[in-house]
Amino acid sequence: MMVDSSMTETAKVSPRAGPSYAGWIGKLVASPLYAATIGLIANSRMARLVLLLAIPLVWIVTLHIGPIYQMARISIMDNYPPAPGGVVYTLDNYRLFFQEPLYFMPFLRSIIFAVCVTATTLIVVYPVAYYVAKVVKPENRTRALLLLLTPFWAGELIRTFSVIMFLANRGAVNVFLREVGLIDRPIILLYNYFSLSFGVIYLISLFMLLPLYSAIEKIPTLLVDAAADLGAGPWARFRRVILPLSKDGIISGCSLVYLTSIGVFAAPLLLGGPNSTIFPEIIASLFHGSSDKWPEGAAFSILMLAVSLSTVGLFMRVVGGRSVKLM
Amino acid sequence: MQPVVHFRNVNKSYGSSLAVDNLDLAIEPGQFVTLLGPSGCGKSTTLRMLGGFETPTSGEIFLDGQEISRLPPNKRNVNIVFQDYALFPHLNVRRNVAFGLELKGMASDAIHKRTMELLSLVKLTDFAERMPGQLSGGQRQRVALMRALAPNPNVLLLDEPLSALDAKLRQQMQIELKSIQKTTGKTFIFVTHDQEEALTMSDVVVVMNAGRIEQMGDPHTLYAKPRSRFVANFIGETNFIEGRLKAIDGGLAAIEWNGSVVHANLNGQSPAIDSTVAAAIRPEAISVLSQKPANTIAVSGRITQRIFKGDHTSLTVSLENGQSVVAQLDPVALSAVTGDDVWLTWRENDAVVLAD
Amino acid sequence: MRSYFSDFPKTALQASYWLFVIYLLLPLALMMAISFKDANFVAFPIDKWTLKWYAQVLQDKQFLEACAYSIFIALMTTLFATIIGVWIALLISAEGIMARSVIFALACLPAVVPGLINAISMRIFIRVLDIPTGTGAIILGHTVHAVPFVVIMVLTRLRSMPNNLVDAARDLGADSFVAFMRVTLPYLTPALAGGMVFCVLTSIDDFVRTFFLGGYQTTLPMLIFAKVQGGMSPEINAMATLVLIVTAAIGLYAEHFTRRSRT
Ligand SMILES: Nc1ncnc2c1ncn2[C@@H]1O[C@H](COP(=O)(O)OP(=O)(O)OP(=O)(O)O)[C@@H](O)[C@H]1O
Ligand SMILES: [Mg+2]
Repeated sequence: MMVDSSMTETAKVSPRAGPSYAGWIGKLVASPLYAATIGLIANSRMARLVLLLAIPLVWIVTLHIGPIYQMARISIMDNYPPAPGGVVYTLDNYRLFFQEPLYFMPFLRSIIFAVCVTATTLIVVYPVAYYVAKVVKPENRTRALLLLLTPFWAGELIRTFSVIMFLANRGAVNVFLREVGLIDRPIILLYNYFSLSFGVIYLISLFMLLPLYSAIEKIPTLLVDAAADLGAGPWARFRRVILPLSKDGIISGCSLVYLTSIGVFAAPLLLGGPNSTIFPEIIASLFHGSSDKWPEGAAFSILMLAVSLSTVGLFMRVVGGRSVKLM
Repeated sequence: MQPVVHFRNVNKSYGSSLAVDNLDLAIEPGQFVTLLGPSGCGKSTTLRMLGGFETPTSGEIFLDGQEISRLPPNKRNVNIVFQDYALFPHLNVRRNVAFGLELKGMASDAIHKRTMELLSLVKLTDFAERMPGQLSGGQRQRVALMRALAPNPNVLLLDEPLSALDAKLRQQMQIELKSIQKTTGKTFIFVTHDQEEALTMSDVVVVMNAGRIEQMGDPHTLYAKPRSRFVANFIGETNFIEGRLKAIDGGLAAIEWNGSVVHANLNGQSPAIDSTVAAAIRPEAISVLSQKPANTIAVSGRITQRIFKGDHTSLTVSLENGQSVVAQLDPVALSAVTGDDVWLTWRENDAVVLAD
Repeated sequence: MRSYFSDFPKTALQASYWLFVIYLLLPLALMMAISFKDANFVAFPIDKWTLKWYAQVLQDKQFLEACAYSIFIALMTTLFATIIGVWIALLISAEGIMARSVIFALACLPAVVPGLINAISMRIFIRVLDIPTGTGAIILGHTVHAVPFVVIMVLTRLRSMPNNLVDAARDLGADSFVAFMRVTLPYLTPALAGGMVFCVLTSIDDFVRTFFLGGYQTTLPMLIFAKVQGGMSPEINAMATLVLIVTAAIGLYAEHFTRRSRT
């Protein structure tokens, strides 16, 4: 018995055929082919630096800045593609926007809509984020959060579709209300601002939830305890301690929701009605359809980009005070 | 013998600040050399220049007689043990140790044999398949050490490798490190700011301050014959004797101090007569007497504090000139209490004149 | 244990949480329920149940082709976005790089620009460069959109990386390329996995960029869009349910994976 077990022991410690190692890496690196190619770059400080800089900078300049630059350039052309007589640069496309209420009003509506959606989302999501971050026991937190995250893996269109079916005349809400006996004929929930906001909030509340959650979770419990010891009631504690300390989360959450909701595209097409036309549809129509009005479209896009980014900038300035990271 | 490592007039500056200032240092093969100095004095910078992670602003570094100052780290036959071990978190212990061997292109069997040998040297064979995250601090330390030793470097560099361990483990690792150095016969360059650690482990201690070498020598010399005020202060406890140099006589300096003239070993210094000089004397070299001795020079004072420290008692004696002197004595030697007047005396050669 | 957090109106918070969960889950759950309805129109109540819609969807050539096309685009997008995102992140985290924050801000630009504007600017861009709409353009558009997220995820992970790991690898004889492949890349694995799943899911889900950049071939969201606009039958529900289950499973698995490797 004793001999047996000790023998298996030694067999385990030093097996005849040892495990294999990546000695080939050393051989590869030592090979002349490697030395003449990758090795050359890897061992030259200059080559490394060039390689490190080249791809990212080229990518960022051409594909992050390039499209916006082109959009700005076309927005001041009179025609695109340029008429045979040559390009005339003009600000007419911008002027058109301010002269024509047909463009101007949807733009205003879009901004107001985005602001309202952002505010509503903040108010709705804050208590939820707070609950998960501070009331739920730490061991259950992941589960509570996952329950909220799962729907968001479903994708934009599928969620929009589910909202349509939820609010339709013969959808879940109306059928339920009728069964209960509250209504006789369906109330119209779809194709108006209500369905649009319902859907958009449904689509983007995650962008509010996650920043808020991580900001609130970071607030030390001790700090709130201290405030309570100093006699602050629940409301005072919320206003004086929790709210200021979750400011970063509020700022990034609101910025993300605002920027996303101002640029939603599929949802208004599917959920909006003739009376709730917002700006994205107008812009898109300038690029598609028979009337090919690219310069106007580009100008409106630039305006929208400028206004949305500067609103966010202003918001960060006013609420954040100091510099804040968006992500 | 040709030094295994030789820094020649090496400077390293970051912007306008000088991290290493005209370093000239030769290290003999097979020695345990310690760089000792306070935080920010340039120890790590020195080590990192040798490892290839910093290039000297000026000067040359030689390894085995070859100029290496500008070689990248992978082309130098030295290895570092990092302060926080820097074990690869995604590789198990075995693969961590084998990392350097794989890069040498050795065959799997040879790699395995050497890896297991090294692990058995530090009794970690049973942990070969563990991930670094599953090891204790001491075990990680050993793995890091073996990983650095595996490629068989000429010189092993250790940057405060023990500072993350608790006191008990640190002592144990000190002994283990020293014995590994003995068995492998390699040159170890060890960085620490703990003077006790430096004294226990090293063959040679290099005391650094503000980017310069203050003094270099074996631990005993450094302790007994510090050359500067900084070294005397940094290594062990010291009393300073400061006064006017009256005379020089046969290697001894006569210094006017606290109303009497005391003697100190010149220690290679040659101060001018009548200038102010400083000498250092260790507490344990001072004898405390209850009466003025008949035939030696002694200084009188009054005991202001008496602290029992276990193996000895520490006395603080306040002198007439307002200075305090710390002395050590056996618990049984003298039953003086606070407030008693005593006489202090020492053998002339135990006090050494300092350069500054 | 005394917690001052709990004497906030706790029940109110709890209620708000559960109401929100219901708000998020109910429409999807009902949509899934209808996919089992044995009738030709999409409405409540459900009297008879069936699996026939699933059988129909799984034989629907258009659907399967759209799936394959979307997956192909998603995989290409993921490949390019990962490579470029890691590359940019390495540049941003490199020592002694000037204008780091400017590069970072520009790298994040496509994520901050509203989706529609991003799509339109890409449409203009490819027309100016005479790139045809279609597969290549879609992949390009999706990649540009995905890169910032990869950059952010990789940067976050890189920040937590002990900076002497690479030094240790170099010290043991690895040149900078080998050190990157054998140490940095494995260390980035969780972030890469998370980033890749994110790329796949956002690409499969993307509508607006495909709308502007796409050619004649239909992607999955385009197909669903067309069907939803065209008139409803439980077939769409079955389609949506299938897609939802697959994407949610991928998402949950990725979440689980990154969470586990984080601890
Ligand atoms: N990368 C760097 N950039 C600028 N200054 C540096 C850099 N590295 C080190 N220094 C400066 O060089 C000096 C020496 O630093 P070094 O790390 O060598 O000190 P050290 O002796 O190892 O200290 P410690 O015991 O704290 O590790 C310090 O003043 C430090 O601030
Ligand atoms: Mg250091």
